[in-house]
Amino acid sequence: MSKHSSPHSKRALPSKEASLFKELLTLYETRQLKKGLKASEQILKKFPEHETLCMKGLVLTHMGKREEGLELVKKGIRLDLTSHICWHVFGLIQKGEKNYEEALKSYAQALRFDKDNLNILRDAAQLQTQLRLFDALVETRHTILRLRPNLRQNWIGLAVAYHLNGNLQEAKDTLEHYQKILKASNVPVGDIEHSETLLYHIRVLEELGEFSDALSLLDTNVKQKFIIDRTAILEARARLLQKLKSDDAEKAWRALIQHNPDCYSYYQGYLSSQNLDLASIFHSFVVGHPSPETLQVLLDFSTQLPKARAPQRLSLTVASGDEFKKLVKSYLFSSLEKGIPSLFADVKALYKDDFKCQTIESIVEDSIKDWNSAPSDSDEPTTYLWTLYFLAQHHSYLGRHERALSVLDTALIHTPTLPELHIFKARVLKRCGDYLGAARCSNDARLLDGQDRFLNTKCGKYLLRAGMVEEANSTLGLFTKKDAASPAADLEDMQSLLYLMEEANAEYRAGRLHLALKKFRAVHKVFSEFGDDQYDFHGYNLRKFIINIYRSLLEWEDTVQSHPAHVASVVATAQIFVAVHDDPSLASAASRSALMTDEEKKAKKKAKKAAQKTQEEAKKAPSQSQNEDKGLEPPALKDDDPDGSKYLRSPDPLELAAKLLNSLQTPASGNIELWFAVYDVSIRRRKFLQAIKALHSARSLNSDHPELHYRIVHLHQTISSLPQSAPNPIGPIISENVQLLFPEGVSPETYNSQYLQQHSASAPAILAAAKVSAQILKAPRDEVEGIIFSAIADGVQLDIKTGLSILLFLTSISSPRMDEFRIACDTKFPLSTAFKTPEEQTQLRQQVLAAGDLGPAQESEDTTVDGSTKS
Amino acid sequence: MNVRPMRVDDVIGMQACNLQNLPENYTMKYYLYHAMTWPSLSYVAEDHKGRIVGYILAKMEEEVADGEVPHGHVTSISVLRSYRRLGLAKKLMLQSQDAMATIYRASYVSLHVRKSNRAALSLYRDTLGFEVKGIEKKYYADGEDAYSMHLSFKR
Repeated sequence: MSKHSSPHSKRALPSKEASLFKELLTLYETRQLKKGLKASEQILKKFPEHETLCMKGLVLTHMGKREEGLELVKKGIRLDLTSHICWHVFGLIQKGEKNYEEALKSYAQALRFDKDNLNILRDAAQLQTQLRLFDALVETRHTILRLRPNLRQNWIGLAVAYHLNGNLQEAKDTLEHYQKILKASNVPVGDIEHSETLLYHIRVLEELGEFSDALSLLDTNVKQKFIIDRTAILEARARLLQKLKSDDAEKAWRALIQHNPDCYSYYQGYLSSQNLDLASIFHSFVVGHPSPETLQVLLDFSTQLPKARAPQRLSLTVASGDEFKKLVKSYLFSSLEKGIPSLFADVKALYKDDFKCQTIESIVEDSIKDWNSAPSDSDEPTTYLWTLYFLAQHHSYLGRHERALSVLDTALIHTPTLPELHIFKARVLKRCGDYLGAARCSNDARLLDGQDRFLNTKCGKYLLRAGMVEEANSTLGLFTKKDAASPAADLEDMQSLLYLMEEANAEYRAGRLHLALKKFRAVHKVFSEFGDDQYDFHGYNLRKFIINIYRSLLEWEDTVQSHPAHVASVVATAQIFVAVHDDPSLASAASRSALMTDEEKKAKKKAKKAAQKTQEEAKKAPSQSQNEDKGLEPPALKDDDPDGSKYLRSPDPLELAAKLLNSLQTPASGNIELWFAVYDVSIRRRKFLQAIKALHSARSLNSDHPELHYRIVHLHQTISSLPQSAPNPIGPIISENVQLLFPEGVSPETYNSQYLQQHSASAPAILAAAKVSAQILKAPRDEVEGIIFSAIADGVQLDIKTGLSILLFLTSISSPRMDEFRIACDTKFPLSTAFKTPEEQTQLRQQVLAAGDLGPAQESEDTTVDGSTKS
Repeated sequence: MNVRPMRVDDVIGMQACNLQNLPENYTMKYYLYHAMTWPSLSYVAEDHKGRIVGYILAKMEEEVADGEVPHGHVTSISVLRSYRRLGLAKKLMLQSQDAMATIYRASYVSLHVRKSNRAALSLYRDTLGFEVKGIEKKYYADGEDAYSMHLSFKR
């Protein structure tokens, strides 16, 4: 906090208090909060309306008295609206609350009354970057540079601001100025900051297309040892020479390959420097005519760099015919001898080529046959085992699950103690719809190596897939921090998206909407933390002169919100809120403990206990010094909604859903589920144009999607049943747009049966048509059943997921034929347990942990890996 | 598997890989802090689909006493169990060490391992050539001791 610059009648203090105020500012800067508080109280005794009020508020906020502090700050502003200190203080507190927009407004006010205040300007620049207000950022950085041209980072700050604002030329000019100034002073050789700055400068030139200038800047400074990051140097050289179409590009890429022979993009660069078309090599699929020169290049590298796997593996992508046969044989055999578990994952990309798939199959099958006819003593028995493991993966990948299981059984008889075999068996069973069997096998794997968290995580995931939430938590808890309130709390703190999404989906499938919502919300929180994480780096990276990667950070932050986990959690949240809107009894049912199952009760109790523990810990936290600074970030609020039922009962669920969806639409526009959710929410909020737009977006992604069909009929029905059409000009726009989606003059019944006819071999389409029939057209139940039962006819593509959705739908229309459908599915999917009766499932569930006997007493012996056993 | 320098958009994959493999976990900001401070020291291994299957998260030791030589530190290294025996850990480690030595003139690299973690200890000692330098009492939050291990670059 800097001292105010211009005296003001209200602000002027007598000399004693004036020096006390100065002291107060210093005390705050050094976070001597108690002394600062005392000083502020001394001033306020005589001048109770002085801007000192804000300072006292700030100090109190730091000391953890947030409410009282904020009250004082607001009062201080009211009493002195033109004090930059008051506004600055308010901005600081808002920034601490991560309310960046409001904080920036306060900083703008502060700057109105003290326009050259460097502290305020620097904070404002960070806020402008956070909010991506680049025009304003350029202006702020300009001011800062004008005020302090001697500070080197201010030049870089301006260059970066120009760059972010899309003005590369100005960025370049600024950097050139900067280099000129630097020449005057002596930069030591090998200075990391200087090296990074030069690499940034080179990147700017490259982006401007000034490749030869970039290259000469690089070469000069490498020679003088000013740029010292070898990988970055080699990469920049190769890239630039390539863009200059120089003959030296080959040498540069070769140098990179020698530097890191397992980096695929270096081979890609090398080959393209040779004009060998290989755009698709990285994706392991070359269609048509592989070039013999390309293969030769890769084979040469394989010989020169025997330890590198990349050139060998890339050769397999390029080779064909007998050449491929020869290469793949030695690749497979040497890998199987080494016992490389990822071999199948490594080569399966080759399967897009039928010939390659068959070649691999016959090589491996032959090898198994040789083993079976004449097991030789010289060969390692483990090679045989890994070959079986490979073969099982091969069959399962091609959908031959029963063959895969039989190969796995052979392998398991041979060696029952290899965890990989159990894990893969779990995976095959999962693919067959035997979720409980999958959980059982993954637990068997876990018990074979209790020190391995990888196996533990897999087991936890499969338990969640099988709906065994509580068992999953106690299993995962073998590796979570013992001082955390619960395994779930630790995994949430550590931002485990895998855990949060799997558990949320498990709860969702089980119909425990409140608990599902709780976890989905935790996912939103993780992504909002990711957004906040960048803030400090806006200042930090300038001070460190590390810019190239900082720019990547900003780019990543601009897209990370569209991460699949985030989109899925937002979509699911919206679906749940829509369901609650349509049937509010869902919300009250979830929170009424009378209706809770035992499992739910336990979960609730546990959550409550965990919340209590967190609070107790917060209370226990010792105040180490009297000045203890709690910072400006508000402490984590006590969780007043441990089981999510309060959130589920939010008074305006549609508004909440709309807000969440709004934050996503642009970055995730390629996700069709998102558009369905947008439609569902908008149509219920009577935002018809928004709803129509969502369906148009969905249609451009997949015009045949069953869920789209349902919604188009729904839209038609909603609009045509409006008591009166909307006023001009909206009304005509709406009807025009509906016609674009739903043909005029066709009855919805006809439209639905036409859709059904066109897609009579697709179970999801059949389900959609049945839903339209039941829910929108209100057809009689036996008619709806007639539609839905065509899903089990021969020739219809029905998968387990759709089968389960159909069962849910039959329940929703109270169909007496539900069991008939269930039994038909059970026959159709003999390996699946998903269609067993509840009694059968209960029995299977009991077997899942039978081998493990997951009691806390036994488990503690297994968990020495992190040394945190209870025993 | 593709072994390459870490990029910012790898952080979610690295964090997931770490959580799946190891008991020592970190929030995203810590990964970003490494990337933003020592952008050339961390490496990843990815599969054909671009999924992170292994990583090394590394830094330079920040608290170096006067007269002490700079040295690197491995905050975390791991490879998914299903991608072991490809030598990925070694490849990741070598790339990182090279960067520590050339950029920051580090003369050795250190790391910590839980006393009870036999598998990791054997990887560091037998495969990667680290030596146990000492024991740090109660290094971990739960009170367990750590072995402090070093690998010298000049040999």
